[in-house]
Amino acid sequence: MSITANSSGAAILDIAAPSRVRRLIRANMAVILPVATALSVLIVWQIVTVAFQIPRVILPAPSEIGAHFLTNLPALLNHARHTGLEALGAFVLATAAGATLAGLMAAFPLAREILQPNLVAFQLIPKIALAPMFIIWLGIDTPSRLAFAVFMSFFPVVISTTVGLSNTDPVSLRLCRSLAASGVQTFFQVRVPFALPYLFNGMRIASTMAIIGVVVAEFISSRAGLGFYILYSSSRMETVGIFSALLMLCIVGLVLFGAVVLAERIVRRTYLA
Amino acid sequence: MSVAPLRTVDTQIVPDAGAGTESGTAGTAISVDGVRKIYDTGRERTEAVSGVSFDVKRGEFVAILGPSGCGKSTLLMMCGGLESITSGRIDIEGVAMTQPRPSIGVMFQDASLLPWKTVLENILFPIKILKRPMAEYTERARSLIDMVGLHGFEDKKPHQLSGGMRQRVAICRALVYDPDILLMDEPFSALDAITRDEMGEALLDIWEQYTKTALFVTHSIREAVLLADRVLVMTRRPATIVEDIRIPFGRPRPRDVSGSPEFNEICVYLRSLIESGHGAAQGRRSGDGPVLQPGRRGA
Repeated sequence: MSITANSSGAAILDIAAPSRVRRLIRANMAVILPVATALSVLIVWQIVTVAFQIPRVILPAPSEIGAHFLTNLPALLNHARHTGLEALGAFVLATAAGATLAGLMAAFPLAREILQPNLVAFQLIPKIALAPMFIIWLGIDTPSRLAFAVFMSFFPVVISTTVGLSNTDPVSLRLCRSLAASGVQTFFQVRVPFALPYLFNGMRIASTMAIIGVVVAEFISSRAGLGFYILYSSSRMETVGIFSALLMLCIVGLVLFGAVVLAERIVRRTYLA
Repeated sequence: MSVAPLRTVDTQIVPDAGAGTESGTAGTAISVDGVRKIYDTGRERTEAVSGVSFDVKRGEFVAILGPSGCGKSTLLMMCGGLESITSGRIDIEGVAMTQPRPSIGVMFQDASLLPWKTVLENILFPIKILKRPMAEYTERARSLIDMVGLHGFEDKKPHQLSGGMRQRVAICRALVYDPDILLMDEPFSALDAITRDEMGEALLDIWEQYTKTALFVTHSIREAVLLADRVLVMTRRPATIVEDIRIPFGRPRPRDVSGSPEFNEICVYLRSLIESGHGAAQGRRSGDGPVLQPGRRGA
């Protein structure tokens, strides 16, 4: 491939010879860009910590965190199991309760009139501030952590689903009426399918809120779990342990989030087929 | 009132031109008698339709022509049982209209297909709602698809279709369960002019084969004259009918009729009516009755 002696020669080469590598890069830009950004942050972090000899207690280098993470992997996985299972349980309960309540509010206008303003007002409460109350109400064990995490993750589901159920295409509803469709038919064949993207959007938010809820509850009372691990490491000034736990929390969060995305795909393929 | 129907609802081709236009013996499919619609918001009362009366014979294609916002859609929705009637009476096939019934098909301005369903599934949606045998109607749906020229698009999703194609699907969906009466609320108004003409022709093709009683609301003069056996002209609020003319072109309607001088003459006349209707509506007190008396039959 020869380059023409032209002022914009480079550009011509660009267009004329898109090599296979270049095409691959262009196609996967959406993945490459964020990964490259994250990697460069890690590299800068590594260089800064080494170059300025930042104390480990203040900010450990990524390499140290990685090493700590790998050596303590069995312990971290054990803690992740506690946190993950409680978060999963809370997420499932919150989704079930939130979707049911949203459905009831959509089906019965009176219920919506009574509940919706209250839900919105309640949503404004900084829920984390209520965490100690759950210890008082439900004790220091799983039930109180679970309940608190449900409390945290319930609102995104109910609010998002309610929006979805009330945003059904009005002409489709008219079509149903013109066919003398029953309320149940209209609900399950038109309103619910229209609301599904909203429900899953709420579920995605709920999945992260559930983990936050469990970790905060673990800060207050627990003998295991990643929240406990963070608190324990911090009491020993072991900053690298905190970061390891954070890394593990990211993984737990990604797994739960991924599960929601997968569930959405499956539901779309089956229910909406 | 009760006269034998012009033809069975069996939907077969009856190439009997002018059947709907000539025959005085056909039964009345739709009877609108002194219908008013007042929206009362508590703060103010708006009269959307005031004292409208007309009959539609079985097998007749009637267009209601009027400017946007003149209450013609409200009138149509009242015929479909989708809006309550403030006073007056609408009888469909001799039964007072109080709520929607499946013997009346409605086509809306917006195709509003269900985005997660394929073309075929969208067309069969009424069958699912009405709990009729799916297998039986699938065949019918497929023949309708062929007729509107959507062959090969059965398994496409709405977002893969153009606006005109979507409205074609909506036509099929309105006809698949074989309603006796078809109500159409400006079904092509969201389409561009070229697509709109095509859709008019598609509708003519299909209607001339399935011959339903049809009530078609539009603000396009040419569309009304091209499609209908009769055109009712409505003025702006309070909406009343100021003219009721019979379109002299037979069935099956020649596709080149819109080029004829007679066609244009009718269009000019209707336009002058609508324009004078504006002035008149502003100039006169409400409740004075129509400006022109209906009955200028056979223009």
